[in-house]
Amino acid sequence: MSDLTTRAASPTSTAKVTVIPEEFTFVRYDAAEIASIVAELAEQLEIANPIRVVVDETTPLAKVYEEIDAASSDATITLHAESGALEDRKHPMSFSATGARESLGRVLLRAHDRMRSDFADAPGDLDLTLAENAAWDTYCSGRLARMGVETNQQRWRYNHRNRFGFDDGIDVAFDALWNADDLAWSDIVTTAGG
Amino acid sequence: MTDTSQIESTARPPFAPWDRRDIPGSFSVDDTARRVGHYKWTEMKLFEALGGWVATVPELDVKMRLGTHCYHHAWHADLWHKRLPELREMKPERLTVPANAAMERFIEAMTEPEAPELTIEKLVGVYRVLIPRFIAAYTYHRNNTSEITDAPTIRSINFILQDEFDDWRDGEMLLQSLITTPDHVRRAAEHQATLEAIMVEAGGITGFDSIGTGTQPATTEGGA
Amino acid sequence: MRQFFPVEDLARDERFVQTNMAERMKDGRTAIDVKESSAKSRGASKRLTPERHDASDAARGLMHGIMVGEIQALEGAGRTAHDFAAGDGTNDTVPFELKLDMARQAWDEARHVEISAKLSDWMGTELGEFAENTVLFEAACSNDPILRLAGVNRALEGLAIDVFTQMKEFGDVAGDPYLEFCEDWMLADEVTHVKMGSDWLRKVTANDPERRTKALEFQQVVDKLFSFGGARGESAESSFSLAKRFRELAGFTDDEVQTISQMDAEALEERKEAVRKYRERVGADV
Repeated sequence: MSDLTTRAASPTSTAKVTVIPEEFTFVRYDAAEIASIVAELAEQLEIANPIRVVVDETTPLAKVYEEIDAASSDATITLHAESGALEDRKHPMSFSATGARESLGRVLLRAHDRMRSDFADAPGDLDLTLAENAAWDTYCSGRLARMGVETNQQRWRYNHRNRFGFDDGIDVAFDALWNADDLAWSDIVTTAGG
Repeated sequence: MTDTSQIESTARPPFAPWDRRDIPGSFSVDDTARRVGHYKWTEMKLFEALGGWVATVPELDVKMRLGTHCYHHAWHADLWHKRLPELREMKPERLTVPANAAMERFIEAMTEPEAPELTIEKLVGVYRVLIPRFIAAYTYHRNNTSEITDAPTIRSINFILQDEFDDWRDGEMLLQSLITTPDHVRRAAEHQATLEAIMVEAGGITGFDSIGTGTQPATTEGGA
Repeated sequence: MRQFFPVEDLARDERFVQTNMAERMKDGRTAIDVKESSAKSRGASKRLTPERHDASDAARGLMHGIMVGEIQALEGAGRTAHDFAAGDGTNDTVPFELKLDMARQAWDEARHVEISAKLSDWMGTELGEFAENTVLFEAACSNDPILRLAGVNRALEGLAIDVFTQMKEFGDVAGDPYLEFCEDWMLADEVTHVKMGSDWLRKVTANDPERRTKALEFQQVVDKLFSFGGARGESAESSFSLAKRFRELAGFTDDEVQTISQMDAEALEERKEAVRKYRERVGADV
């Protein structure tokens, strides 16, 4: 992977966003466009931290996760995305701004959550269980939807059901998480399973 | 020794008072075989058309309904295929023919639309012209054939008529949902008029005697 | 109406975008480990099970693939009911009863489209959300009715058996009340379709062994194509496996299943090699 980076920032955002790689080989993505989308999201969330976006373009899978090296406003946030997370699924290898906004928005929200003290006990993204991952995705996706980011609620309901079960109680729990704001990590965990 | 004066008689009239079926019918065995051959030919042409059109229509609900109806009419063709040998026609292909040349032209005209933007025309041909003709011909046949001697044909017609009514309703509802502008109305009406004119020339699915109101044409055309 | 219908003209509404195998194979990305020196695949098993981190989205993608596959199967069965005149099975004709079976298959596939559309709704997938690969109609719909039987009823429906079995197991393990139920009903129909194909292939070529051999060769070519570069296979690197039990019920012999399994493994290695070469060509790390 090229270690060259590019810098971009939205005109009014204070977040500095860099994207790796600067040039894509396997997919038709534009680093500047990715940076612009992330900068816009950061501005909406009032995140001023420096942000790195690392895209693995060698795989078509769609895993996204985040890392933050400290719970402070000057810590670097790193968003990892496999290329499928930013892809236009109707036109393989092409970029989807809508998909990118949704995928990167989710993990940016997680990074934002981690800066709260009541998330100190949340495991790292790669150490989350499948159920914890699903619960946090539900919580983030609901907030993204209210921010005006295009999100498919039924997709996330199905994901939640797959992890917690197919019954009315779980659906109630999903709705509660989806519509929630200002939760601590422990709240997410206890709400998710109904 | 058994006391026979106490044994209850089992002799009953062969027809219960509520069973009013009678023998006379309008169609001989040969007449029926001829009609059934025309039914089979037309049902075959219809199921082939519906199956072929599936790939040509972009509307997903129409696409799926055509697949379902394709089977209905194939099954009707099969019922008639099996009935023919029972009517002394041991080579069903011999009678599996159009009623006349006009009926053949009708099918050609009905199946001519292929382009993806012609869904209205495709459905009009089937659901506003051909299937109503099927309903008429089958109803006439059922009501005029012997309920006793030709019970098997009546049974098949009853099953088939149920499908025809259901399919007609499906198709008509699809058409009503597709015809939403004056131009759509014009297209539907024009295509229906074109096809009806050919069907009138044919006389119906079994020719001039399809529903008992036609008169025999002066010359006999090709077909049966 | 034309006798034969080209794949380019398959009618779709504006939600659908079509692609083909040539386009798909241009993709230099892969989820499998292509390093010759590495025996391990990248990360966890690729098999579609609830244990995958992306299980829900992978299932959604596969369900959409099933739906568009069923649309093409419906179109294929409908065309076969239409394209060949009833006759004795020689030249361009097919037995009348074969046409009836194809019409029956069209009905079954229409139901499968309905089921898949409902399941897509259930899973949160929009119609046309993913690109539609037309390879199924393209490869299966030969102008020779016997090759078409081999391509559609054996290869395509055989693939359906494999995919539905995987989805059924997925639904069962996940506790999804609809997925396992629906996939099982569809599986029953597909077993019937494969048997139709096997029976008719045998009957129509009873006196023409050369034609039968050609049909079986064609079927193998299509079977390999439908491995999708090893996406089907016994390896943990494959998303779904051969459904051996249901294929046996449908009339596949042990030898046939073994041959398909070998071709799946070949397809996987060929895909890896193609990706390695592509990456070397573009100067990327292998």
